[in-house]
Amino acid sequence: MNIELLPLTGVRSVEGEAGDFTVHLTQAPRYIDPEKCIACGECSRKCPSKVSNDFNAGLDKRKAVHILYDQTVPLKYAIDAEHCIYLQKGKCGNCAKVCPADAVNFADTPREFSVRVGSVVLAPGIRTFDPSAFDSYAYSRIPDVITSLEYERLLSASGPCQGHVLRPSDGTEPKRIAWLQCVGSRGNNKCDNDYCSNVCCMYALKQSLVTADHAHGEGHDQAIFFMDVRAHNKSFEQYYNQAMDKGVRILRARPHSFLPGEENRGVRVGYVNEAGEPLSEDFDMVVLSVGLEAPAEAKQLAETFDIKLDHWNFALTDPFDPVATSRKGVYVCGGFQEPKDIPRSVMEASAAASAATAGLTKGRGTRTAEREVPAAVDVLGEPPRIGVFVCSCGINISSVIDVQDVADYARTLPGVVHVENNMFSCSQDTQVAIAEVIRKHRLNRVVVAACTPRTHEPLFRETLEAAGLNKYLFAMANIRNHGSWVHATDPKGATRKARDQVRMAVASARHLAPLKEVTLGVTPSALVVGGGVAGMTAALGIAEQGFAVHLVERETELGGNARMLRVTQGRFETAPYLASLEKAVRGHAGITLHAGTTVADVEGFVGNFVTRLDSGTELRHGAIVLATGGVGLKPEGMYRYGEHPRIMTHQQIDAGFMDGSVDPKALQSVVFIQCVGSREPGRPYCSRVCCTHTVESALHIKRTNPDARVVVLYRDMRTYGQRELLYKEAREAGVIFSRFSLDHRPVVDVVNGTITVTFRDHVLQQDLTVEADLLGLASAIVAPDVNGLAQMVKATLSDEGWYVEAHSKLRPVDFVTDGMFMAGLGHYPKPLEESVTQARAAVSRVTTVLSRTEMTLAGTVATINKAKCVGCAVCWNVCPYNAISPDEKGFAEVNEALCKGCGLCAAACRSGAPDLRGFTTSDIMAQVSAMLG
Amino acid sequence: MNAATKATRPDAPPADASGAVMVVGGGIAGMQSAIDLANSGFKVYLVEHKSGIGGVMAQLAKTYPTNDCAL
Amino acid sequence: MKEIELYEPRIVAFFCHWCSYGAADLAGVSRMEYPASFRAVRIPCTGRMSPKFILHALRQGADGIWVSGCHPGDCHYGTGNYHSRRRLELLKNMLDYIGIEEGRIHFSWISSAEAEKFQQMAIRVVEAVRGLGPNTRLVKSVCSNCIPPVPTCDTMHECYEPLEEIPGAPRPNGSCCGGNGL
Repeated sequence: MNIELLPLTGVRSVEGEAGDFTVHLTQAPRYIDPEKCIACGECSRKCPSKVSNDFNAGLDKRKAVHILYDQTVPLKYAIDAEHCIYLQKGKCGNCAKVCPADAVNFADTPREFSVRVGSVVLAPGIRTFDPSAFDSYAYSRIPDVITSLEYERLLSASGPCQGHVLRPSDGTEPKRIAWLQCVGSRGNNKCDNDYCSNVCCMYALKQSLVTADHAHGEGHDQAIFFMDVRAHNKSFEQYYNQAMDKGVRILRARPHSFLPGEENRGVRVGYVNEAGEPLSEDFDMVVLSVGLEAPAEAKQLAETFDIKLDHWNFALTDPFDPVATSRKGVYVCGGFQEPKDIPRSVMEASAAASAATAGLTKGRGTRTAEREVPAAVDVLGEPPRIGVFVCSCGINISSVIDVQDVADYARTLPGVVHVENNMFSCSQDTQVAIAEVIRKHRLNRVVVAACTPRTHEPLFRETLEAAGLNKYLFAMANIRNHGSWVHATDPKGATRKARDQVRMAVASARHLAPLKEVTLGVTPSALVVGGGVAGMTAALGIAEQGFAVHLVERETELGGNARMLRVTQGRFETAPYLASLEKAVRGHAGITLHAGTTVADVEGFVGNFVTRLDSGTELRHGAIVLATGGVGLKPEGMYRYGEHPRIMTHQQIDAGFMDGSVDPKALQSVVFIQCVGSREPGRPYCSRVCCTHTVESALHIKRTNPDARVVVLYRDMRTYGQRELLYKEAREAGVIFSRFSLDHRPVVDVVNGTITVTFRDHVLQQDLTVEADLLGLASAIVAPDVNGLAQMVKATLSDEGWYVEAHSKLRPVDFVTDGMFMAGLGHYPKPLEESVTQARAAVSRVTTVLSRTEMTLAGTVATINKAKCVGCAVCWNVCPYNAISPDEKGFAEVNEALCKGCGLCAAACRSGAPDLRGFTTSDIMAQVSAMLG
Repeated sequence: MNAATKATRPDAPPADASGAVMVVGGGIAGMQSAIDLANSGFKVYLVEHKSGIGGVMAQLAKTYPTNDCAL
Repeated sequence: MKEIELYEPRIVAFFCHWCSYGAADLAGVSRMEYPASFRAVRIPCTGRMSPKFILHALRQGADGIWVSGCHPGDCHYGTGNYHSRRRLELLKNMLDYIGIEEGRIHFSWISSAEAEKFQQMAIRVVEAVRGLGPNTRLVKSVCSNCIPPVPTCDTMHECYEPLEEIPGAPRPNGSCCGGNGL
C-alpha cells in the first residue's frame, strides 16, 4: 500500500540532487476511470477498432480499448487514443454505451504533477533485437521464420493459439523446428551487437524442451544451431543435458542460408557441419534466438536523469558498485545495466533498493502509511450467521451457471442468513457494500462464490477486517475457474457443481474459528557469516542502513577468495578495492568483527535469533546472511596436476601474477585447459567464472608479452554478457582457442621436466602436441563443507553443496526459512561483481525484516491438543521447520513463529492431537460430508 | 497494490524527500525494487509508461530451468 | 436428441493449494473443458492428507478419490508430497485388500503451470471411476438426507460446535448411520 503505481506515466524532467530530487511527471489519459472500471471486458468486445497486439509480439489483434494481459496490474482497461475511432473521428463511442459501470471518460486529459523523492531506481528493462533489416536472417522474406519472443507467445497458454503452436504460413502444427542462436548477439556485422545476450541459449533450450514435451507422434524434431552453448548458471547444465536426453539436436554450425520451402511454407536451411560437409535440411519453422538490447527510451532517460551510457546505450556502471549510475542518487537494475536473466535482475533490483536507501535512513517511515484495521468483533460462542455472495463476474459465471438458482439454493443451507448476487463481487463498490451488509446483518461468517481464493482471498479478507470481522472467518467457492470456465458446454452440470461448491463452502464456514495472529518483536541487528567480498559488502550495507552487524569470519584475515583475484571484468584491479572495502568494514562503528571464530549454534527464528560462537560469545539478531563462499578445486589426479610446479590452477596463476612468481615476460608457451572438474559426470555443473578468468589471464600474458604463444583448450567458451568482448580481444591478440570434446580430452605429459600437451584440433581434425612452460588448469569452484552450519540453521543444500534458495527465479537471495539470506559463491559460483550485487541484495532483504519493529505471523498454524498427545515424537520428527518440540512434560508444543502451516503433523499423528488452524480436520471432513450429503 | 491506483493529486509535493524513492519501469526488476523499498519503510512511486505493469517476463510462457509459469 | 442419463460418479478431489489447485485455476483461465464430476477440497499441502479423509469420503459414498500435489522436489514445504506419497500408497494397498478397486483412488503430481496435464488427468480420473460404477464397499447404507455430523472439534481451544443448535436449520431426520461420522 505504500507503492503508488503510476501507469501511462513518463518522466518530463528532474531537478535537485541525491537525497532531494523533484521529478516532474506526465500521466497520459486512460479515458477509463480506474475507480469505476470492473474489468468486465464488455467495452473491448464491442470495440470495432482492431490494433496489432504488441503483447503477443504482433501475432494477433487487440482492440483500441484493451488491457495489456489478463493478469496485469492495475486490472483496468485503457483506451489507446491513437486507434480509438471516437477520439480520432468523433464517432462510435460503443464502449461508453455498453460499459455497465459508466467508466468511460472521453474527456480525460493528461495530468502533469511532481513528486519529491530521495533517490531514483531506473529499471526500464530491455528490448529484443529486431532482425527484420537483415536479409541473411530471412525474417522479412519467409513467413515461417519467426523470433523467439513470437515463439514464446505461440507456446504460451494465454497466447494467440492457446499454447498449441501453429506456424504463420498456413496455420498448421510445425513438427520440425530449428532454432538459430546469437541473432543480434556476438556478431561483428554492422548492426549486430558484439556482446553476448546472456539468456538466449537457455531460452532456446527451454523452448525446444517444452516443444519436445508437447510433441506427440512421429516426425517431430527440434534442432538448435549454436556457436557455444552457454548454460552457466545454477542447474542450467543439467537442463542442457536434459534437452539432449529428450532428443533435442544441438548442432554446432552457423547456417549460411535460409530459403523458402515449397509455396513459401517452411524453411530450407543450408549449413556446413563440423566435419566440413555442406548440408541442407528442411524445417517447418525456424526460430531466431534474438538477443537483448538497451531499451528504446535509454537515450532519453539518460538525458533526463543526466547519467552516462556505454556505447550500446546500457547504463554505465562499475563492477565494484554494479547498481550505481554515474550520477549520485540514481541507481539502475535489470536489463538496462546489461542483458541478464530473471534471477540476476531480481537480485539487482533488491541491490538497487538497498543502494538507493543507504543515504536516506533518516527518511525511513516518514512517508509511509499503515493500513488501519478496526478491532475485530468477538464472535466466539455466537451461532453461525453466514452471508453468501454469489458473483456473476460480468457474464463470466452467469453465462454458464444459473447464479440465481445457486443463490436461492444457498438460502436453504443451515446457518445462512443473508444471500445476494453481485455483478462483480470484487469491485471496489461491492467491497464497501459487503462490509456494510456484514455490519447490518451481524454476519459472523462470509462465503463468496466467485473465482479463485489464490488471487482473491486476500481482497475479501481485507473487506472482512474493514467490517470488524476476523479475516479467517471467510470461505470461497471457486465457481468460475473451476466452474463456468471449464464446463461451458455443460451448464446444468456446472450449476449442479456450483450448488455443491457453495454447500461445501458453507459447511466449511461453519467450522471456521477466528484466528489470532501473533506479533513478535524484532532484534534490529544481523549476523553475517563469512568475511569475503560478499560478507563484507553485506555487513557494510546493513550497517549503512543503520542496523548493528556481527560479522563472523573463520580465518583471522578478511577478503576470502578475492585475495587471490588479480582483476575482474578484464581490467578492474581487485586489490585496491578489497583494501578499501576492508578498511570501511573495520572502521564502521556498527560492525562488530568476530574473526578467527565460527558459529557453534543457532536458535530462534526470524526477528529473534540467538547465536553462540565458538569463542563463547552469544549474539542476538533478527536476520542472518550466509556468505560462506566457495573454494577452488585442487584437481588432484587430473592433467598431471601436482607433478610439475608449473601446472597450476587459475587461482594460483593469478596469485603468481600478483606476487611476481609468474612473470608473463618470461613465458614462451602457455596452455590453458578449461572445465577441469566442471561439467563432468561427477560434477555436472558449470563453474561460470573460469572461461572469463582464463581469457583475462591469457590477455594479460599477451599484452605484456605479445610473442608468447597462448593456447586455450575449451569445450564451450562461456564468456557471457559483455565478457564476450574480452574473448574477442583475446582472439584478436593472437590467443589460440581450440575446442575439445569429452571423448578427446587433451593429454598432458611431463617428460624430463618439460610439460607437453597433446590435443585434437577441431579445425584440422588431427592431434597436435605443444610444449608448455606454464599449464593453467581452469579448475572447478566447489562448495565448501557447510553441512554443520546448514544443519544449525536448517538450510537446504543442493546435491552439489550450494545453498538452495526459496525460488530459483523470484527469490534468489532468500532461504526458505524466513529471515535468512545468502550471498556470494555459497549460492553458486559467480564473478566478483555478481557477488557484490547479491550481497547488496541481501542487505535489502535483511532491511525488509529489520526495519519493522514487530512482525505479524499468519494465524494458520498448527496447534496441539495436549489431552490427546502421548509424546510419541512423530510430529516433531516429521515437521520440516522444527516448529514442534517437547514441552517440559514431554508433550508436543508448537512454536508458532516457526510453523508454516503445512499440516504434516496433523496428518501424521496417530492420536489426532495436532490440528491445523484454518484447515482443521473437522473443516475438511465437513466439506467432504457436505459434498456427498 | 490495490490502493495504489488512486490518481495522484497535482498538489504540492510533501516535505521530506528522503522518505520516498521513485522506480522507473514496472517489469520484474522494477517491481522487486519497489516491493523491497516499500517493505523497508519507504514511499515508492512506481512509474510505468504502459497501462499496466509486468514487463517482458509477463510475456514468457515458462521459465527455465523449472519450467514454472512466468506469471 | 433423447437425453441419455449418463452415470455421474461422485469424486472427491484434494488439491494442494500451491500446485494442482493452481493448475485447475489455469485450466479455467485457458478454458479447458473437463467433466463436472468431481469437487475439490483445497488443502495447504498433500502432506496435510490424512488417510482418514479418504476413508471418510468413501464411507460417505464417494465413488472415487483424487489427490494431486506438487512434483517431487517442488513441495512448497520441502517434503510434504513425499510423506503423502508414501502414506497414500500404503492406504491404496490396504483399500485394495478390502475390495476397493485400484481405479477409484488416484494420485497425480501437477504443477501450477500444467493446465493441460490437469485437464487430461481430470478426464482420465472421471473415466476410470465411471467405468467402475458406484462404490458400495465401505458405504453404510447411504440415505440422501442424512448428513452425519462431523467429528466435534474439541482439538481447537477457540473452536466451538454450535451447528446442531441453529433454530430453523434443516436437520437430518433419523440418522441411518447412528450419528457416527466415521
